[in-house]
Amino acid sequence: MNESFEPRIVAFLCNWCSYAGADNAGIARMQSPANVLPIRVMCSGRVSPEMVLRAFRSGADGVLVLGCHIGECHYIDGNHRTAKRMPLMRNLLGYVGVNPDRFRLDWVSSAEAPKFAQVTGEFVETVRALGPLEEEMGEQ
Amino acid sequence: MVGPDSLTKELHDHVAEKLEDLDGVLALRRTDVGTAPYLFQKGDDLSELVLQPRYPLGKIVSRLQKRYPDAPIGVVVRGCDTRALVEMAKREQVDPDNLYVIGIACTADEAEACHCADPAPDLGQWPQGRLIGVPTEGASAHPLVRQYRDMSLEERRRFWGEQFRKCIKCYGCRDICPVCFCESCALEDPLWVEPGELAPPFPMFHLIKAMHMAGRCVACRQCELACPAHIPLTVLYDLIVEDVGDWLGYQPGRTMDMAPPLSLTLDQAPFRTGVK
Amino acid sequence: MEYRNVLTTCTYCGAGCTLYLQVLDGEIVGVLPDKEHPISRGGLCIKGWNAASFVDHPDRLTTPLIRRGGSDQHEFEEATWDEALDLIAEKLLSARREFGSDSIGFLASAKCTNEENYLIQKLARAVIKTNNVDHCARL
Repeated sequence: MNESFEPRIVAFLCNWCSYAGADNAGIARMQSPANVLPIRVMCSGRVSPEMVLRAFRSGADGVLVLGCHIGECHYIDGNHRTAKRMPLMRNLLGYVGVNPDRFRLDWVSSAEAPKFAQVTGEFVETVRALGPLEEEMGEQ
Repeated sequence: MVGPDSLTKELHDHVAEKLEDLDGVLALRRTDVGTAPYLFQKGDDLSELVLQPRYPLGKIVSRLQKRYPDAPIGVVVRGCDTRALVEMAKREQVDPDNLYVIGIACTADEAEACHCADPAPDLGQWPQGRLIGVPTEGASAHPLVRQYRDMSLEERRRFWGEQFRKCIKCYGCRDICPVCFCESCALEDPLWVEPGELAPPFPMFHLIKAMHMAGRCVACRQCELACPAHIPLTVLYDLIVEDVGDWLGYQPGRTMDMAPPLSLTLDQAPFRTGVK
Repeated sequence: MEYRNVLTTCTYCGAGCTLYLQVLDGEIVGVLPDKEHPISRGGLCIKGWNAASFVDHPDRLTTPLIRRGGSDQHEFEEATWDEALDLIAEKLLSARREFGSDSIGFLASAKCTNEENYLIQKLARAVIKTNNVDHCARL
């Protein structure tokens, strides 16, 4: 595997919590990896499985979905749907042989800038160890 | 195999009786040229009513009821069809109050051929219906499903890579699925499934379809039967449906009482973790 | 309320898969594969699944159309079959007279029956006297 592999990560961030958390991490000059391409959505519940799959199809080596904690969703229960759909989709990836660790769902509030930095940092390293998705799929 | 003569006779007699009140009974009709779904009406020759080959009649019920919402009709169905009708009824695609369900119990051989865990129609969910035939035990799951946990990621990748490479994107699996009814289908959206391209290594069509089967697939096996490339699609769908069962306690088509859990909140349909 | 399925052959290619047209009150509302066909056995390609979509399509031609002003005219005008066939006969004969038999080519079609394809190649060889006959399935 290429040792200078920089994984490309797409992160779906909800406007009210995780995106604000990411913003705050930046303002506080916390170290967050540059590998992450943030996509702001109004609610994590808006993230459909199609969007996550499209991110992989378009070249992402890993996909993150970060939403508000359960009970703190700006739209009350939008993230309840996220909480159900995303684990199912993660399992589905595993069923077709895509390493499910390439996908992660987590909850980050606007006040949790350190958590944002930590989660993204961890995730980049996890995906780095897995290598490019292209190589994994190209093995067939 | 049409089934034992006594079952056929009982079925024909019952349909004849119901046709006195119903506007029609949807079932399979055998003629000189072939066998296909047909709406039997009073006066039709019921000796033409048969039970093979299986076609998904749920979609046709939906279409008839949308055109004639007040007409009382009946349908001759198997266990999987009744499950499909339950899922369609929950989504307001089928009206249970105007539908008389004649359930046919599949034989043990038929259940085995479909790896069907529940070959008998559950008529407890329907206001009006009648079971014909003797329910048999469910068959065991597809061997691949049973041994799936033991397969490595690489083995799974290789397996599905070979399978999906055969796909000609005929959309037959989508067209024949008894619980598919969206007028605007995600699989036809060029944003998700690129037109003019067969299944890429990252199989968008199949992954999206599998996700849409979560909480919805009733294991009727029509998609596999319709696939010209003989891709064992239901192996993947069975796995996803098992997850929905484990995590959300929901099994498609079992009961009219539970609403589809993926659109509900966590209070209405809790997510059980730590099960696997 | 009458619902039935009518067995027919797909018009799109030479494989000849049979399928059922779902007919509700005289209107085609869908397609079902023929599970008893010995070759296709309940499978259809994407064209087969949509084999009936041309029947009621708004773009479907219902009369012959002619550019009466010649090939420089952009619009097509509705015409009768007699006018269209007379024009075709006149143009084919004049082309043969002016440029020779081999200036004319004939394209047959997988959407036609074998009998129709037989007729068109007979027209080409015996009447126009050219061997320039081909078929869309070869392309």
